[in-house]
Amino acid sequence: MSPRTRQRAFTVLLHCMLGLWLVYSILPPLMLLAASFNSTALFRSPIDLLLLRDFSLENFGDVFTRGDFLFFFQNSIIISSSAVVITLVVCVPMAYGLSKISGRTRSVVSFGVLAMRFIPYVVFALPLFLIYVNLGLAGSRAGLLLAHLAIHIPFATWMLIGYFESVPEELEQAGIIDGCTPWNLFWDVTLPVVRPGVIALAILVFVISWNEYLFALFLAGSNAQPLTVGITRFLGGAEAGVEYGVIAAYSVLIIAPVIVFALAANRYIVSGMTAGAVKG
Amino acid sequence: MADMRSRLTRGWWFLAPGLVLMTLIVSVPLVMAFRYSVHRVFLYRFNEQDFVGLANYLRAFRDPLYINALKTTVIFTLGCLVLSIVLGLLVAFMLNSRNVRMRPMWLALFLIPFVVTPVVAGIAWRFFMWQQEFGVINEILGALGGPSPYWLLERETVLLAAIISNSWHLTPLAILVFYAALTTIPEDLFDAGKTDGAGPFQTLWYIVLPMLRLHILFVSIIVITSAFREFDMIWSLTGGGPGRATTVLSIYAYDRGIANQDMGMGNSIAFSMFIIMAVAAWIYITLYRRFLEDEG
Repeated sequence: MSPRTRQRAFTVLLHCMLGLWLVYSILPPLMLLAASFNSTALFRSPIDLLLLRDFSLENFGDVFTRGDFLFFFQNSIIISSSAVVITLVVCVPMAYGLSKISGRTRSVVSFGVLAMRFIPYVVFALPLFLIYVNLGLAGSRAGLLLAHLAIHIPFATWMLIGYFESVPEELEQAGIIDGCTPWNLFWDVTLPVVRPGVIALAILVFVISWNEYLFALFLAGSNAQPLTVGITRFLGGAEAGVEYGVIAAYSVLIIAPVIVFALAANRYIVSGMTAGAVKG
Repeated sequence: MADMRSRLTRGWWFLAPGLVLMTLIVSVPLVMAFRYSVHRVFLYRFNEQDFVGLANYLRAFRDPLYINALKTTVIFTLGCLVLSIVLGLLVAFMLNSRNVRMRPMWLALFLIPFVVTPVVAGIAWRFFMWQQEFGVINEILGALGGPSPYWLLERETVLLAAIISNSWHLTPLAILVFYAALTTIPEDLFDAGKTDGAGPFQTLWYIVLPMLRLHILFVSIIVITSAFREFDMIWSLTGGGPGRATTVLSIYAYDRGIANQDMGMGNSIAFSMFIIMAVAAWIYITLYRRFLEDEG
């Protein structure tokens, strides 16, 4: 084999392996999509499902009628978007302030913020559940939102610190010479520079809240249940008797928004997820 | 001097409100979890709380089910760690090859499992991947003449299935971080290895891995924290069963605290998880500082 052919064979092999990984990555959601468009009168092999041998739209109808989709959807949307707004309002100024204070205090506070990210979710959910049940707060969206904020605020602050610290000092120096007020320095000078980071954060917070299940299971009562709880009403009972088509259709409707987000805002998500990968 | 002082107060004005709010939102549940863990308290008898010291913890440590859940959690966490780091490195390394076209497109698609709702991912794996008769895994095994086990119904296979399903969700993070790190390594370094006669695996082992130490540590701690507290994915995949084969600590805390209404015990299980994670965090930060110092 000439070096050139060998190079080409290597390239083909590389693409085959990446293709294999791609199939592995998208197969589970793809199976959900396929199954959602098949009638579930029979169990079917994956190939039959993927070829839509028994095409039907009835599953999606069931999601809205028996699955009460809109009720859960409304809760999911309200909780996720409130979480984004509150997290940004609280954390953007906070992370900015943190990047402006002196070294020693800053490292203590940053350390605290980082440490909070290690707290397992049940440590929030169990005591809150007990408190809510006894204060009559169980099943309120506000109560559920509070638990979400307990994980978002440390995460967001930690992520934003990195963005704010990367803004060169000279930028604000120039602003001070131009006579900016502290608020101008924050809002008009520094914030525009970190805007991509803020967008990345907003997307990640939304996705985390949208996907959250544990808090919802513990704290949502019956009024504030989001989609992740809504789908579980079809999961009871033995596996054989399960309505996998409706479950698949429900799943597709839950994950469609986040997958569209992930593909459309890919650049932001990539920068958000790698932010803070290596910093002092 | 005046400039110095105004700088300080300016920072605090922005910092203080958020800091107070964050401290309240995070520390109130944390303190209450500890409080309940040293009390005898039941779900619907909130007003009868007796202080019992460490009795709940002692009960947990003597409880074979707690020890079992702890063991399961550790195996699950380590399994997810090894799988996602190894696969993440391999895929990132392949993707970074200069022969690969349209790298951003590949990367974007590889990210999908990470954003798929964990409850839904559990459902997808349960009904369409591991399912005994029509699942994709057994279809493939069958075509190769292999066995077709009841993956989720056998104690021997269920934990492996849970580890693989959860790693599917976590590996994209590893791919992304490693790939981003690899793109910053100059091409010359790979070429230097090649002229010395190193194959791709030797390049990976001797040149790339040492340079990625900090990134491997970073991904490890994220995977460990996430897998250690995992609830959603396992809950929808197996519900903690069969028997208690996949009852991890988060599920066991739910079991005691809510299903059995024994909030004292539930909170002591949860708080013991917090202590384990605090130790992990301390190890992480110590290692991180040491690595950073080494690199100067």
